[in-house]
Order: sequence, then structure tokens, then C-alpha cells
Amino acid sequence: MRHLAPNRRAVLLALGASGLALAARAQGPVPQVSDAPAAEPRDTARRVPFHGPHQAGITTPRPENGLVASFDVVATSLDDLERMLRLLTDRARFLTEGGPVPDLDPALPPADSGLLGPVIQPDNLTITVALGASLFENRPWLAGLKPARLQRMAQFPNDALDPDLCHGDLSIQFCANHPDSTIHALRDIVKTLSEFLVLRWMVEGDVPPVLADARGATPSARNFLGFRDGSANPDSNDAALMDRIVWTTGPHEPGWAQGGSYQAVRIIRNMVERWDRTPLVEQERIFGRTKMSGAPLDNPDATEHHVPDYAADPEGRAIPHDAHIRLANPRDAESQRHLMLRRPFNYSRGVLPNGQLDQGLLFICYQADLEAGFIAVQNRLNGEPLEEYVKPVGGGYFFALPGVRDKADYLGRALVDAARRT
Amino acid sequence: MTDTHPPRTGLGLAVAAAAMLVVAGGGAFWYATQRNAAANPEAPADMTVSVGAETCDPRDITVPGGNRSFRIVNASDRPIEWEILDGVMVVAERENIAPGFRQTLTVQLAPGDYAITCGLLSNPRGTLHVTPSDEAAVAASEVTLRKFLGPLSEYRVYLVLQSAKAVKAAEALREAIAAGDLAAAQAAWKAARIPYRQIEPLASRMADLENAIDPNAVYLAGQEGDPGFTGYHRLEYGLFGQNSTDGLAPVADRLVADLTDLSARLKAVEIDPALLIGLPGAMAGQLATAHVPAGENRYAGNDLDELQASLDGIGKLTGLLRPVLAGVDPGLEGDIGAAQDKAERDLASLKQGDAWPAYDQVTDDRRQQLAGSLTALQTALDRMQPVIGIN
Amino acid sequence: MISPFLRSTALGLALAGPALAADPSLDLVGPLSDYKIFVAENTAQLVSDAEAFTAAIKAGDLDKAKALFAPTRTSYERVEPIAELFSDLDVSIDARADDYEKAEQDPGFTGFHRIEYGLWSEGSTQGLEGHADRLLADIRELDSRITALTFPPEVVVGGAAVLMEEVAATKISGEEDRYSRTDLWDFDANFEGAEKIYTLFRPLIADGEADFVAKVDGNFQAVREVLAKYETPEGGFVSYEELTDSDRNILSAKVNTLAEDLATLRGKLGLG
Repeated sequence: MRHLAPNRRAVLLALGASGLALAARAQGPVPQVSDAPAAEPRDTARRVPFHGPHQAGITTPRPENGLVASFDVVATSLDDLERMLRLLTDRARFLTEGGPVPDLDPALPPADSGLLGPVIQPDNLTITVALGASLFENRPWLAGLKPARLQRMAQFPNDALDPDLCHGDLSIQFCANHPDSTIHALRDIVKTLSEFLVLRWMVEGDVPPVLADARGATPSARNFLGFRDGSANPDSNDAALMDRIVWTTGPHEPGWAQGGSYQAVRIIRNMVERWDRTPLVEQERIFGRTKMSGAPLDNPDATEHHVPDYAADPEGRAIPHDAHIRLANPRDAESQRHLMLRRPFNYSRGVLPNGQLDQGLLFICYQADLEAGFIAVQNRLNGEPLEEYVKPVGGGYFFALPGVRDKADYLGRALVDAARRT
Repeated sequence: MTDTHPPRTGLGLAVAAAAMLVVAGGGAFWYATQRNAAANPEAPADMTVSVGAETCDPRDITVPGGNRSFRIVNASDRPIEWEILDGVMVVAERENIAPGFRQTLTVQLAPGDYAITCGLLSNPRGTLHVTPSDEAAVAASEVTLRKFLGPLSEYRVYLVLQSAKAVKAAEALREAIAAGDLAAAQAAWKAARIPYRQIEPLASRMADLENAIDPNAVYLAGQEGDPGFTGYHRLEYGLFGQNSTDGLAPVADRLVADLTDLSARLKAVEIDPALLIGLPGAMAGQLATAHVPAGENRYAGNDLDELQASLDGIGKLTGLLRPVLAGVDPGLEGDIGAAQDKAERDLASLKQGDAWPAYDQVTDDRRQQLAGSLTALQTALDRMQPVIGIN
Repeated sequence: MISPFLRSTALGLALAGPALAADPSLDLVGPLSDYKIFVAENTAQLVSDAEAFTAAIKAGDLDKAKALFAPTRTSYERVEPIAELFSDLDVSIDARADDYEKAEQDPGFTGFHRIEYGLWSEGSTQGLEGHADRLLADIRELDSRITALTFPPEVVVGGAAVLMEEVAATKISGEEDRYSRTDLWDFDANFEGAEKIYTLFRPLIADGEADFVAKVDGNFQAVREVLAKYETPEGGFVSYEELTDSDRNILSAKVNTLAEDLATLRGKLGLG
């Protein structure tokens, strides 16, 4: 039996008709409801270089829109895997660089979804491909090649993991200035790699743009709890810092993995209704920051970038010991080992069966060592008061492949070459 | 004339006379149509072919491709049929042209080499060479095939399924004959004819098989004694004319084999839209000019039952074509529907209770009426080709 | 195995393939009519299987009715692109509970899946007699309507992709036969139905589209290999619950790729 979606078409047709009526009445270029919002040309033309020692989309400045899709990989041989990775590279290279869509005979399904019109604008799109631990399991031809810290995401005490939102053989993070660019890129990958990739789950999110100040600087974006998120993130422009915190190096990792990065993705539901009914004082003590400015509570008149002085507050009077920021980063010598680069987006996905909003944080972070980074930090956060308002429901751990150096290179070439040698 | 009518019925002369009237009437109607179309009553044909006792004159014909008309003059002393053949496929035909009479045949011809029959089946065939022409080229490029794909496919399904039924029914007939059960064999013979008559519009164009499956003694030099007298009517002659199954087993074997061959041939044949469009009109014409006036089942007399099957076969074709036609010429589509209903009604009016009477009980008037409505149906059907015909 | 041909990617399509026919050719008539004969054989089988199935229900023979449920459905699933042209019958024969507001309790819920619900979830033939009568009547009506139908060529040729789209969208997840878990019977029949169409038209494109044909052949073969693992000695299939994640992924990838590729069949045959 054919299962049809509700007949929205009639509704759309009716809307279209009224839109036409409006247009007919309009004189001059007064924008109409149905007109596309006027874009800034500089946005869509911007391009993030695809080639480089590392993949883009990790230390690249975060644009407004982000999407993570997780797939199961159908590849029963190393040859399959190589074909998949080459094809994936070709598509990512084209989508991030932009260009005209091929014209096919109109009797055929079109080559492209057409979401972006006849010419794909790069729109700051980045496509970041990472591998899950399950890819290396049951594939003897990849034996011994799994990155040393890569593992299946284990349940933390506050987690309520939904199996339909967890794990995967391969993740792709899409980021771009506009949501249609991320969706377009995902649709392209789903279409062109259907033989190899079976979609498991997908979450899209965004971060609100904020007006820059006089110096051109912007504050950290707010999450759906209304707090600034990312104030203490390490400086992603500091290459030496990134080499230490983000990029995987060293003899304990397989040679092919040098220059990659561990990716942790968490889908963290926020109980926003309950949060909004929580006194402001309590909200701020849970985070350890003032809500409006983001300044740590030990100096509420400072900026969000103020470094809290925990040594001066040993009893946790200003910032409680179990405040989110104090647990996550105690600002001691030890915590330097646990730094990671966060890159989250807010998601909003309709309504839950209980009638509450399904909103939360698509948490994404990158680190050179998964265990020292996300896992260690999350273990410190276990039991924090914020847990009453958040519930991780999905995500997974992945290893972002090293970069594609040039036209002749492809994602994961070093892995494939290493597998051929063994 | 005397040796052309069935020997066992006194109706022969009267039937033949009625046939002439019908032919003349149909011819007059045809001329009127042509006059309206071409405003040139004197030049309806591109080529006149005179068919004598043993040959055609001319025997080798060359015409440019396109819509061509042939005036066939029967210069022999027997009724003749005239056919254009592409291999063993009948492209177009005129049947039962009485001695001294002429008929015109119009056909859309693609460039290529064809054969023509010349009177008796044993006479040497002539050739028809169709040369490329602008007209043929334009005709070839006019309309798309797409809307015919459904009807063509559906008709092929019909051919495959009905010819399979014809084989099965012939096998049942063969068994009854082998068992020597005359009554069962007579019933089986009548039943076996139905699926064949339904697909006859195309089956009859497999010239070689048609000559083995369905030859009529009247077209054979030796009549019932002719070695070429095989197939259904040979069995009919035995079962109903001689009231015996004796000696019929090999004839039935051959019929089963020929029908099996036919079934395979129909499955393999490539039908194009022009052929499909031409089939029902040609069949209606054949019924009007040959079967209805003269009767075909001289020994069994079950002609009415078979005429119903033939109308069903025509109805299958028009049912497929009318949807195509409706979008182009709804008036003609309505005319065809009305003409078909009229023919069906005229035939049904001959029923006595639930049963068909023997054909010799059908009066000349009633035959003439039925032939007239079939001619009208043919005329309506033949108007389809210029409206929706493509090549 | 994974087919080594990757030419159906967006770029591949742009680069590969001869110019398409603007109009369909008469060569389509053979496969189109052969397909109708295939469909007619299946609906005739469906009628006789449904007679036995509904008789078992009305005789109160629960075990027999359960045993006949899945095999009876296969003839329907094989010809679904045509069967579902008649939407009234498709609804009353094959709708699922979630097509109705009150799900299983909805008075409009009837047909195969209503009976399936009764046989497995309620464990009884009681109260199913009316549904059985209606199913048989609907199936007979379907058979006669299909016999009378001139098949639209684009529906036939497009049907191969439609079947794959249906499996990809609403079946691979195991939601079709949720009470009986006989989904693999349906998969198999859907694949057979799609492959039948493809096989009939394959000769018309095999010469000019060698890569395409090799890829599609390979993917159908891969599907057969996966499904073969789940066949029972009696010629049926084990429960959907026994399908491993990895095999479900292979089927899912194949069915999406087949849908992607078979969607070009209409264009390739001038029926775009």
C-alpha cells in the first residue's frame, strides 16, 4: 500500500494563489511575504578551502548552521571502502567549492536536488567526515588500524540514550552560512552514496548571529537555556594550541591517523519549560555565570571572558563547586590536559509526546585525545545540578579523518594505504 | 457464378446477389466519401490492378510511399481476394470481390518491398515496390507512438491469451474426434471457433497459416476435394457435412499444430499503430462483404454465434482505440460507438430466445440489414486512420 | 558484493550514457504486454490463494490461516505498482493500522493487516469472518479490474522504482507486517516485482547502457544473496526479527541505490 503524507499540496497551492494575488496588487519592489529573504552576497560566495593538512569544519569559525548525520557503511571490502571514500571526497570537494550543476536530459531525474538553483554557491560550507569505532569492527581488513582512543560511546549516569540517535560507522558534520546549504549537501551525499551509506540519524541546529561590536568582535552565542556558550573555548586561531589540543599526533596513534581529531557528538535535550520556571539566581548558580553578560559570578560586572579565580573562592560562595563551569574547567594545571574545542549548535525539533518542546544542544567537540578530553570532562560533570534540566539522548564518538591535501588525494587515503600494507 | 456458391444451399444465388448490392452500396458510399475528401470523384485510386484467372496486370508495381489507393478489378470468373503482404504479414486486403466488380483499397505504405496476391492462392504473386517519398517521411514523423503503447500492448495481451485459448479449445476438439464422439466433437468445434474468431482480425493476416487454418473450399480450385482444404472448415465439413469423425484426426492434429504456430507468431508479431487502427475496420468490412452475405460455416450453420465473437474481437480493438480517438475527434469517436451499438443490436435482434438460429434461417433482408450496419461501422472505423493514424 | 560500477552518481550521469530517446519505441510493446501477462498470472494466483486463506479463517483454523497469510500476500506485493492504481481497493486490501486515526480499533481498518492483527495479536479467527469476506471480494474485484485495464506504459516502467521507493520508505524498517513479522516475504516479493519489470525492459537498454545494466544486475544479485540467508527449507522466510543490522543495512543501501538507478528507466525508454 502506498502511504501518503497528508495532502499539503492543496494547502500550498492555495497559499501560492494568494501570494500571486498579492504580487499582482503590489507596485514597485516592496518585498512580499513569499519573496525569498534578501541575502548578503558576501555570505553565499564565501568559500572555505577544502584542501589542507586538516579537514575544514573543525577549527574553522562556526557559521550559523550546523548539521550532523550519522551513517552505517555498507562496504564489505577494502576496495568498497576506497570507492566510497573517493566518491565522498569528490562530492565534498565539489559541494564546498561550488559550481554549476550538470544539465541532464529532463526525462531523467535531475543530477541535483536543485535546492540551490543552477549554480551551487559555496556559502562557507564545510563537510567534515569522521569514522566510528563500529566501522573497524567485523572488518578484518581494517584490523589494528582503529585509532587508539576510538570507542563506542558509553552511557553516562544522566544519559537516556535512544538507540535510534546513537553511534554510527561514519559521521558527517555539515556547516554553512545557510541551512539550505547544509541540507542540500546532505541530500547530495544521500543520493550519490546510497550504495554505501545508510542514514542512521541526523540532527540539524543553528546558532543565532549577533551584531558585532565596534571592533568587529562578537560575543559567544547563546544556547537554548539563554546562556552564552563557549566563553572559555580555546583560541582556534592559535595553531600551536590547536596542535596540542585538537589534532591527533604521537606514537600511540596509528600513523595514518596523524592530523585527525576525535569528535564527540552529543544530542542533549533541554527541559526548557522547566528551566524557564526556575529562578534566575538558581539558573546562574547552576552555570556559574551571569545570564545576560556571561561573566563568571565571582566578578559579575566583568565580561564573559573573565577567568574566574577559584583559588580565591575555595568554599564556592561565588561560584559553587558544582557549577557547570567550575566542574568542566577548574582552571588548574591538571585541567590543561583536558581541554577541547567545542562547536555546538542549538536544535529545535518539534514537540515531544508530553507536549513539551523538543529543544536542546547539538553538542560537538574536537580533541586530540578523546579520553583526556570529552570523556574526562563529562565524568567530572556527572551529577551536576544542571542535569535536572538536560538529558543527553544520543550522539556518538568518531574520529575525524586527516585532511585532503590536494586534488589527487582523498579522505582516508592514509588509512586505505595502511590497510593495503597489512 | 454457379461454381462459386455453396453447393448445398439454394440460397446461394440470392446471397450472392445480396452481396453485390452490399458491395455496390459500400462502393457508392466510399466514392461519396472520397468526393468529399478529394473533390475528385474520377481519380480515387493511384493504381488499377486487374486480376485475371491466373495473374495480375500489372504484376510488378512501383508506387511512392504514403497513403496509396488501389482499384482492384476482378477480371476472372471467380470471387477473389486481393492482399498486400509484408513477408507473411497481411498489410491490407480486400476479400470477396465478385467477378466483374471492382473495389478500392487505401493503405498507408512505408517504403519497402511487398508482395501482392493475384486471385487464387495458387497463382503466382506479384510485387509491390514502395519508394521513399516526402509524404512517407512526413507521415513517419507526425505523431508520437506513446499513446498507442498501452493499446498495442493490451492488444498483444489479448492475442496471446485468446490464441492460447484457441489452442486449448482445438486440443479439446482433437480429443473428441480421437474418441469418435461426433456430438462432443460438433460441440467442441463450435466452441473452438470462438477464440479464433475473436483474434481473426490479425490472425487472418498470417497468410500462410490462415491458408492452412481457415481456408474456405470456395476459394480452392478443387473445392472440398482440394488437398489444400484443411483446418477448421475441413473439420466442419466432416463433422457437420458428412456427420462423421472419420479421417479427421490428422486434420485436427494439423490444426492444433498450426494454431500453436499461430500463437507463437502472434506473440512475436510487431504491431504498429497503423495496423492496429486498420484492423477493426478491415474486419467489419470483411464481415459485411463476405461473411454476412454468403455465410461462412456452410455445414455447421452457426454463423451468428461466430459473428458475435467477431464483433467482440472488433469491440476489443475499438475499446482500445476509442480513448486515443476521443481526444482528437470526439465526434468520430461517438460515431464509431453508435455504429458499433447498431451492429450489436442488429445481430442481437436475430436471437431467438437465448439461442442463435441456424444461419440459413436468417432472411436476406435481415442479412442485408446486418451487412449494412457493418458497412457503416467499417466506414466509421476507416475514418480513424487519417485522424489518429501514425507511422 | 558491492557492484564496482559507480557511474550513476550525479557526475557520472552527466558524463555517461547515450542521448535519450525523445519518444518511446514500439519495442516497448513486447515487454509491456508481457508484464500485463505477469500481473494477470499473479492476480489469478492471488484470487485462488485468497480463497484458501479466507476459507481457513472462516473455518476457524488459526494455524492454517497464519500459515497462509504471508504466501497469499506475495502475489499482491509482486504487482503492487499496478494493484495500487486502484486506490479504493489498495486501501481496503492493504492499509495499515497507522493509516487510520484510531489505529487497530478503527472501524475502517480492514484487509490483510486487520486480519494479521487478529490472527497474531488477538490470537484468534473470531470476528475476522467479515474481514475475510471483504478481502476476498476486494481481491476478485481487483483481478477483474486489472484484466480490463490498459496498463499505462509509464506506470509499468516506473513501477520498478516505485517498488524500491516503497521498500525504502515504509518497509525496510519492519513496519509492514508488524504483528506477524513476515516482512521478509514482502521484501522478496517486492524485489521480484521490481526485477521482473527491469528484466523485461533490460534488453532494450543493454547495448547502450552496459555500466548501468551491470550495476543494477549486481545490486539485485546482492539483494538475492542477502535474502537467501533467511529462507526456510519450506521456501518461506524467517521472522523479520532475525534480520541482522548489517544485513538490513545492505538491503537498505541496495534498495536506495536501485530506486535511484531504476528512476532513470523511464527516461532511458523515452517515457520521461
